[in-house]
Amino acid sequence: MSDDPEFQYDDVEPLPISSDQEGELCQIMYDEEYRTVMGIARALLQRLEFSERALYATSQAIELVPAFYTMWNYRFQIVRTLYGADGVKLNCELDWLDEFTLNNPKNYQIWSYRQALLQLHPSPEFQRELPILQSMIDEDTKNYHVWSYRRWCVLFFREFSNELQFASSLIARDVYNNSAWCHRMFVLKNQVREGPPSEVLTGELHYTKKQIEIAPQNISSWNYLRGLYDEFLDGEADPAIIEFALSFAPGIFAVDISDFSSQIQSSYALEFLAHAYAKNKDTFAQARKAYQALSDHYDPIRKNFWAYKIRSLTT
Amino acid sequence: MAPTPILDERLTIQKHRKFLQRHLAILPSKHQEHEANKLAIVTYALIGLSCIGDPISEEYAASKKWLRRHYRVIGQGDSSIAGFFPSLYMDLDNALTISLTSTLFGLISLLCLKDHKFFNSDVDREGICRFVSKCHKPEAGGFSASLDIIAEDGFQPSKTDPDDLRHTYVAIAILYLMGCRKSSHFSQYVCLESLSSHVKEKACISGGFGQYGEPHAGYTSCALSILELISDRWDIFPDSFYDRTIEWLLQRQVSDKCPEMSGHEHFDPEDDGGFQGRENKFADSCYGFWCVNSLNILKTSQKVGNEYQNGLSEYLINKTQNSLLGGFSKNDNEDPDLYHTCLTLAALSLMSGEFDGSLFLPRKVADTAKSQLIAP
Repeated sequence: MSDDPEFQYDDVEPLPISSDQEGELCQIMYDEEYRTVMGIARALLQRLEFSERALYATSQAIELVPAFYTMWNYRFQIVRTLYGADGVKLNCELDWLDEFTLNNPKNYQIWSYRQALLQLHPSPEFQRELPILQSMIDEDTKNYHVWSYRRWCVLFFREFSNELQFASSLIARDVYNNSAWCHRMFVLKNQVREGPPSEVLTGELHYTKKQIEIAPQNISSWNYLRGLYDEFLDGEADPAIIEFALSFAPGIFAVDISDFSSQIQSSYALEFLAHAYAKNKDTFAQARKAYQALSDHYDPIRKNFWAYKIRSLTT
Repeated sequence: MAPTPILDERLTIQKHRKFLQRHLAILPSKHQEHEANKLAIVTYALIGLSCIGDPISEEYAASKKWLRRHYRVIGQGDSSIAGFFPSLYMDLDNALTISLTSTLFGLISLLCLKDHKFFNSDVDREGICRFVSKCHKPEAGGFSASLDIIAEDGFQPSKTDPDDLRHTYVAIAILYLMGCRKSSHFSQYVCLESLSSHVKEKACISGGFGQYGEPHAGYTSCALSILELISDRWDIFPDSFYDRTIEWLLQRQVSDKCPEMSGHEHFDPEDDGGFQGRENKFADSCYGFWCVNSLNILKTSQKVGNEYQNGLSEYLINKTQNSLLGGFSKNDNEDPDLYHTCLTLAALSLMSGEFDGSLFLPRKVADTAKSQLIAP
């Protein structure tokens, strides 16, 4: 830390880290750098110093222990004291955070710290957030914290216009990306209070069917399809969608199940059909057949669950 | 009385014991980055050792005092708050450094070491509950894991902490260990109405719980454990949602016997029997614990039996156990680590009925905590 010419800490007595205490567990062999950095950062915190050099000291401490919530909070108090609601200064802090984020992708304190900064900022911008979100998603397309942060931003800025397209671009890269499919549903459920207009729904049904044709054995796209019906179409599967699902499990309701051994393209198509058929007494027989086929051939690991579904049909 | 061990001859118990004990001993400097989670390390190692039947309350009796030194009461009388900080060197007079997570891990560790005196007479029970209360964010329903370091206008929930279901679970588990057993107890410290809306907000349409509609087995376990501990608020969801959640959870068990998934980069037939945390992800040993705990809470065995657990045991023991170094890894090709070792042993223990998943304690320790210590 003392090698940074900008800041002097000569007047700061580093707080020592004592070790080798009676009954101590997990006795960590701290190295010298660690002792110095933590010694100074803690000494400054102890005297509640809010200064540029203290800000720098927290960055050093956070580099060494990224999960140290106390240091993040101290840093935020320094930023608030020094910069208040100065947008230019807060952007510099966001720049620092971008850099830190790229080097510590798995840390989750970074995102809540970011939210605190944006809430302090006089004129936060969604555009400012997009590059870091993009690089983090590029690095790990299913990073849960990054997706959560993106959705928080979308709600914070009420900016939905680019989101379906964004989800599509991730689905085009990997049709099995469940986060991207969930993001689509998040948009539909939150963009318009009374639900998506019918032309959007028609578009979504068309899009989903196309993605299912590309990869029929994909739980994410089938869940999304079922979500569209359950959330926005009264849960009623229409003949066209039944026909569509049947095309991935051809002939399954025509033959005797006991000698059925042909390959189908999608067990999720079968589940979709079973779910639709289980809603109506008149089609219980088909539902039973679908569950039995899942149990015997296409999803035997869950056979007790499918048996339970069959038992539930009588009630 | 020693804890009840998991009995399975395929487990290389000696190696696991060494692996776990190593984490409680002297650690090289690369572990210094985990300083903020030190009490988590202690807890994971102690719980792991309990699961294999080690008499840790005797072996580590000398550490009770050291653990207690992480406990601090701030302020006095009716306005005191109390909790644990993660590391002795974060004991600073001018800054609030106690956290909910460290507090839960500190309490769990002391329970495992049978420091009953701490619970029966020494702890400032109201102070700990008040600390939980101060971390609560009634407008959002959740909790920050700590407080703003400076109490300008009284204690304030930290503005820089995440406030997701993990911390809500931690807060509720602490209150439970401090004697809360039903909603009328919990509501003395937290606004249960806003907490309920916060939990409901995390419910996903396909079943399960997660952030912004994306279900996740870890959050699902947190949410269901919260309901289990509060005990009388199951009515915030219709039965159909719990059914849907059972289905979602069972679907997390990876199978190699399904139609082909062309071009799927996150499917590995070697994962058969293991559980994944989310749709279309690889299996990971820790989700075995989170899913089985969730399924147990929902009394799934009454509907579908326990047979699904056989596949999981096979997966955990045959694929994630490292019989050379000891410990368990997240899958069949990573190095073993403490977290996955603890969670895997806890999952095996849970499946043999010897673990309380919602309190994250060995069954016997949980039973003692429930009946003898801090009875409501």
